[in-house]
Amino acid sequence: MSLKYMTPTEQFKKYLPKDYVELVDYGPFGKSQDEAGVNNIGQFKEVLEEHPMCSGCLMAYFIRVFFAALPNPEDTVTLGTAGCGRLAISQAAVPFIYGNYGDQNAMASGLSRAFRLRFPDKKKDVVTLAGDGGTMDIGFSMTMHSWIRGEKFTTIMLDNEVYGNTGGQESGMSPQGAILKMAPEGKKFEKMPATELAKTAGCVYVVRISPTNIKKTAKSIKRAILVAREVGPTFIHVYTSCNIEYSIPTEEVFKDAKDQEKDRFSFEEYMTDEAREVIERIEGEEKKAKKAKKGARKEEVVS
Amino acid sequence: MCDKITVGPAGYMPKSAPSMGVELAPEGKALLYGNIVEEEEAMRDAAKALLTRENPTIFPGPQILWDWKEDVAEKAAAILELAAEIPSCKIIPMPDYRPKYPKIDVKAEINPNHPNLTILDNKIKAAIFVGVHCHYANLTLRMIRAGTDCYTIALCAHMGHEEAMASIRDLHASDVRKFKDILIEERNKLGIEWTPTMPPANPSLEKEDHSTLTAADYGEYRSLLMSRKGEHVAEVE
Amino acid sequence: MSQNARPKLEKKIVDAGYLLKEAPRTQQFITGAQAMAEAVKRANVDMAIAYPITPQSEVMHLVGDIYAQGHIKEYYRAEEELGTMSAIAGAARAGVRMFTATSGPGLLRGLEAIASWPGHRIPAVLGVLTRVVNAPLSIQPDNIEIAYLMHCGALVLHAENQQDTFDMTLAAFAIAEKVDVYIPVAVATEGFFVTHAKGYVNTTPEDMALTPIDPTAAPVPAMDNETPPARIQRDAPVQKSNFMSYLIHAVWQQEIWDSNKRSMKYIYEYLGGPIEVQDPEADVFVVASGCAAAQAREAHRYAQEEGLSVGFIKVRSIRPFPVDEIREAVKNAKKLIVPEHNIIGWLCKEVKASIPNSGIVVEGPRVYGGMTLPVELIMAEIYNALGIEHNMKL
Repeated sequence: MSLKYMTPTEQFKKYLPKDYVELVDYGPFGKSQDEAGVNNIGQFKEVLEEHPMCSGCLMAYFIRVFFAALPNPEDTVTLGTAGCGRLAISQAAVPFIYGNYGDQNAMASGLSRAFRLRFPDKKKDVVTLAGDGGTMDIGFSMTMHSWIRGEKFTTIMLDNEVYGNTGGQESGMSPQGAILKMAPEGKKFEKMPATELAKTAGCVYVVRISPTNIKKTAKSIKRAILVAREVGPTFIHVYTSCNIEYSIPTEEVFKDAKDQEKDRFSFEEYMTDEAREVIERIEGEEKKAKKAKKGARKEEVVS
Repeated sequence: MCDKITVGPAGYMPKSAPSMGVELAPEGKALLYGNIVEEEEAMRDAAKALLTRENPTIFPGPQILWDWKEDVAEKAAAILELAAEIPSCKIIPMPDYRPKYPKIDVKAEINPNHPNLTILDNKIKAAIFVGVHCHYANLTLRMIRAGTDCYTIALCAHMGHEEAMASIRDLHASDVRKFKDILIEERNKLGIEWTPTMPPANPSLEKEDHSTLTAADYGEYRSLLMSRKGEHVAEVE
Repeated sequence: MSQNARPKLEKKIVDAGYLLKEAPRTQQFITGAQAMAEAVKRANVDMAIAYPITPQSEVMHLVGDIYAQGHIKEYYRAEEELGTMSAIAGAARAGVRMFTATSGPGLLRGLEAIASWPGHRIPAVLGVLTRVVNAPLSIQPDNIEIAYLMHCGALVLHAENQQDTFDMTLAAFAIAEKVDVYIPVAVATEGFFVTHAKGYVNTTPEDMALTPIDPTAAPVPAMDNETPPARIQRDAPVQKSNFMSYLIHAVWQQEIWDSNKRSMKYIYEYLGGPIEVQDPEADVFVVASGCAAAQAREAHRYAQEEGLSVGFIKVRSIRPFPVDEIREAVKNAKKLIVPEHNIIGWLCKEVKASIPNSGIVVEGPRVYGGMTLPVELIMAEIYNALGIEHNMKL
């Protein structure tokens, strides 16, 4: 891990804008999740602050949680495509690649392989964050084939069940019957079974979640990234409602997310044995370290 | 030899310097107004511009702002030595290349997607770009030539920039110091008295005085403020 | 992808100038596909991504073999061309040297990504082994696809034969990565006529390789978490809005074509210039590129034997197009004949647009859909141009 590329030249630090100095001094880079994770939001400078998403947008909320949950933000690259999400993702202090339509998983295949070539001894996390259209419609072939090839990176589908950014058109992930643009009589076929497709295509860790519980959401993100480093493709299918196109009053966005938890976005976590081994090993080590730390603190108090 | 590239504003949609026939200088040479000249000649003209035009400013880019390579620290030190010798020089950084949202603080930074805002607001008539990646430097220099009357100087570690009025290539710390010496010579010739002074720190770093905050300071976010019962917020931007 | 198990080859690293102009050469009798692969072998390529299409497949099969031998560090078969070209764009952003190749319909399928490579500053090398664009389906040679490629911003070199294919492919890597260029280079040659036919190729030593790519000597930062700025977004969406200059996309596009223009000096340096001229004083010139240039060269030889005032111009570089060079070379010419392997005559249009007296340009001869270009077809136009009566049975 090298923080050099985000350490200001000594002479120039006082000439940098405040925003950057704070990011260096109080940001999450080089810190553990205990120091700058979702549990400490508000106590460190987040990598994502201002963004142009709609008021009450659950996607913006999830993206904020996602960045706070990154196990290694200083060695992470995100990739995305056209859609609402990139409006916020592109404002974060984590490298973001915006390519063409639905190409994020193909680009990530090349990028993650290139990272392993150039930096065989470093852990560089690659995460694609695209909408339901980008992941399951226009990018379907590239998404599926990256999984089939066993590419080691994390795919996150921000599912708002509609093409929000282009003005509310039906997507493959819209629920059957939904009346949307380009579906004037209601959608005539069912929502695509994304997590089933992911499992079939070879994802080793798959989660479907409505992000109502921050800790649980962060845990899934972290697991997905850590497993992708070692084992293979991982996938998170997350509900990020579009309160504009589905006319959800801002104050009911969270309630809707809770309702969806019992409906189309019931929590599901799948992992292969190999993925489970990695998770148990890493989380076991973390627990041990925490215990040792607590013990050390107790000793300190005693002595 | 006529000047091919001159101080702007060049207009709504100007042709690029290369498409007007300007070519990068070969090793050991420099560009001045689009013509290939000796490095010293370009440095001398650039120095005069910095000494005689209003609000001279240095715009350091990411390659020199961030301590990522061995030679950065020395180059950064040399740039600051140069800055101290330019009367009333400011340093406004270009820390990265993505567009600023929701709005750039033009006193605190410059951005390649809308460099004209910083130049125009600060009435900068002479500027040095250093440590900016070549692609973004070219975009920035072209937009400044299009829409402002700023004299631009490119100090480039690679091959230089056609769009700048003066362009120095293969820049090392020693070249910056040579430029500084030439600047001091020119300053003395012009009879300008100046004690080397470091430019002021970034204005955004000043501590905010919360006691004088009013609703107007919140700009477009003022609607998010809770007004006290009976209070009428009349002061807006 | 277990890197440890990969074969390790010891090679002498040399710069492009030495490799292309000074390195010892030995003659081989190989196909165009082999020539391209042999160049890739010597180019210190980090990663190649393959997807089959006739007649290109041969090239990426051979590149696969080269990978297995250890000349390339990473190689895989992608899902289709859009996936291939997108993955190239992703990998190149990490600062590695990339190669792929395609043909006709494959090029068009990948074109959304290819057309954005220059704007994304992707210095990859793309082999284009030409083929008809389907409707109806055919796998035959026809270079109409180059017309689509000409307006993307990428450099386009057009190889006459197997030797050109080798030299241009090798030079392409060096030119693409120059800090004042840094855009993709397409090396095109005719499918089957060159890819599947053998010719003599003087190749450089196999144990000599081009200097590796230096991701820090680039006009844009590599997106590798090692290069500043940290808050990097190299190619942010730049739409006209309240927080963007109206000029940003326009100057960005200018920068791509400026980079294209700047490459000309390297085309002189490594390939001897964008055109080759024979008999500069002639009245009639045959101007051609690629495989058509081979036939035009032969027509020029016939004309020499018959004592006719005929010159020959081969266009090596389609982008940047050598406007000044062609205008100068034909300033005293009375007729220009432009033989081509496509129906629209993209080279003819370019030549016409380069000179003040476009009326002297003869539109053709053209063959397409896989037809060969007999020398006699060009000779007939030469006779017509010189006002010589002829009765050629074609």
